[in-house]
Amino acid sequence: MIRTIIIDDEPLAAGIVQEYLADFAQFQVLEVCQDGFQGMKAIQQHKPDLIFLDVQMPKITGFEMLELLDEPPAVIFTTAFDQYALKAFDAKAMDYLLKPFSQARFKQAIDRFLDSVGNENKAEAPDSERNLLAEKSNRLVVRVKNDIKIIPVQEVNFFEAEDDYVTIHTSGGKYLKKMTMKTLEESLDAGKFARVHRSFIINLNGITGIEPYERDAYLVKLRGGERIPVSKTGYARLRQVLGL
Amino acid sequence: MLFNAFSNPKTGKWIIPGTGIVWFLGCFLLQIQQGLEIETAAADSLVFGVIVIVSLSVIQSMFSYFLPKKENLGQLVGIPLMLSVLGVVAHRYLLSWWFSEESEYLDFLRSTFYLRLAVLAGVEVLSAVLALLASKLQDQEQLNQRESQMLQLSKDAELAQLRQQLQPHFLFNSLNSINALVGSQPQKAREMVLQLSEFLRGTIRRDSQSWISLSEELNYLRMYLDIERVRFGHRLLVDFQVEEGAEAVKLPQLLIQPLVENAIKHGLYGLTGEVKIEVSGKREGNYFVLEVKNPFDPESTPAEGTGFGLSSVGRRLFLLFGRTDLLESGADGTQFKVKLKIPQFQ
Repeated sequence: MIRTIIIDDEPLAAGIVQEYLADFAQFQVLEVCQDGFQGMKAIQQHKPDLIFLDVQMPKITGFEMLELLDEPPAVIFTTAFDQYALKAFDAKAMDYLLKPFSQARFKQAIDRFLDSVGNENKAEAPDSERNLLAEKSNRLVVRVKNDIKIIPVQEVNFFEAEDDYVTIHTSGGKYLKKMTMKTLEESLDAGKFARVHRSFIINLNGITGIEPYERDAYLVKLRGGERIPVSKTGYARLRQVLGL
Repeated sequence: MLFNAFSNPKTGKWIIPGTGIVWFLGCFLLQIQQGLEIETAAADSLVFGVIVIVSLSVIQSMFSYFLPKKENLGQLVGIPLMLSVLGVVAHRYLLSWWFSEESEYLDFLRSTFYLRLAVLAGVEVLSAVLALLASKLQDQEQLNQRESQMLQLSKDAELAQLRQQLQPHFLFNSLNSINALVGSQPQKAREMVLQLSEFLRGTIRRDSQSWISLSEELNYLRMYLDIERVRFGHRLLVDFQVEEGAEAVKLPQLLIQPLVENAIKHGLYGLTGEVKIEVSGKREGNYFVLEVKNPFDPESTPAEGTGFGLSSVGRRLFLLFGRTDLLESGADGTQFKVKLKIPQFQ
């Protein structure tokens, strides 16, 4: 039995997936969720094999929801927007169904999924280090225990790299998110944030001072009192952005 | 002012000094012809020329700051007349003092006083009138420019609006709903096809120039909201509260719909659970006041004030009425409210 979850904020849209899926006896729909919050909880609870995911939904998008999962299941996107196809491909989506889609097209997607399950030994394991196409975003979605928090980027003081994770430091607390510094850097507005060190990205708005520290190295002082190391290249970059 | 009558204002700058020089040369030659000595003729003409330059400059600068309105058009003649009397009198006193020994010249000066006054006054009045005409021409040109700009802007707004309404995602999602209904509830699917067609037809037919009645606009909105209700089921609640007798009120097109679309976007698309959108309209004095209220999520929609995409409506209101105070919006907790005032002319 293949266990699936459908996540779509439109009941009729979820309904058509269910209707098409009824032709495949081996599939079982565990739950139909109407937003990413519910979706995340259902996925953690049921650990499904496959999810059908809409992109534009209330609160958080389908992509943002995927980012929150430690072990994401196989995904078939269902959306009316064609501009996310590349990003979906990057997120290692099984398929990308453009609404409205036909039964034949749906079957193709299912076949593709079944093929990949059949070749499980050959297929590469889902990459835990998913490097989603950087898209300029003005918010970050993080998971706090079983809840989801949306952080507007302007509220972030600085980011700190920690192995596969990035710690997001805000005045209200610290949050951990699984992502790479490179992806993060690309998704941020270069006029507002700067990578001053291999492990640090700072909010330019919060800088209160820069002081020398050893040879060729500097420390940047932030509003919250933190001192962040600045590398040689980081210092050059900082000078350029700040117009010093 | 006069300068602007020239296609190249830089050459226009030389018109007053040029007039002065021509004036000087003309006077000088005439006076030589009349038998005056070169030195006297030169002094007389030089002073006269300078007076011409000074008074023309005064007239130009005066009328570039202030232009007489219809009720005091007299100033257009009065001020140049006054200036020319002043000029001719000053000229006479200055030269009488300068050449006080030469009685022959003094006689000449006295006998030509009125002639000088007439010629100077004629020229100065003429220059004032020209200044007025030039500025009127310029005003007209600016007006034309603004008008064509306005036309362009409203065309742009209309196009953007059209694109917005034909938003592919709205269309495709609606088609997807129809696809789902065809299997389970064919009758409802048919209904939705009809609603969607009528909505699209309305969108294409609309033009931003003409005004329509409130009842027409509300019908259109109901159609749009009905489609959304099919898509989102029980989640969407709509409450229309329109004052009785207001159905005949005339409104510019494409003003209310963007507000309701915004309410849908931030209310329905942004929230989970039940969403109530309230639309109310009533007459207040010379205005028809329309309010659209929707809940929103302050967390996922940062309160950027105008982030609700109301700027295009504001711009259209400005184009239509030349005012910026007709649209108010603000968040109150988790409710977002937009208030639109449409002037009514009876």
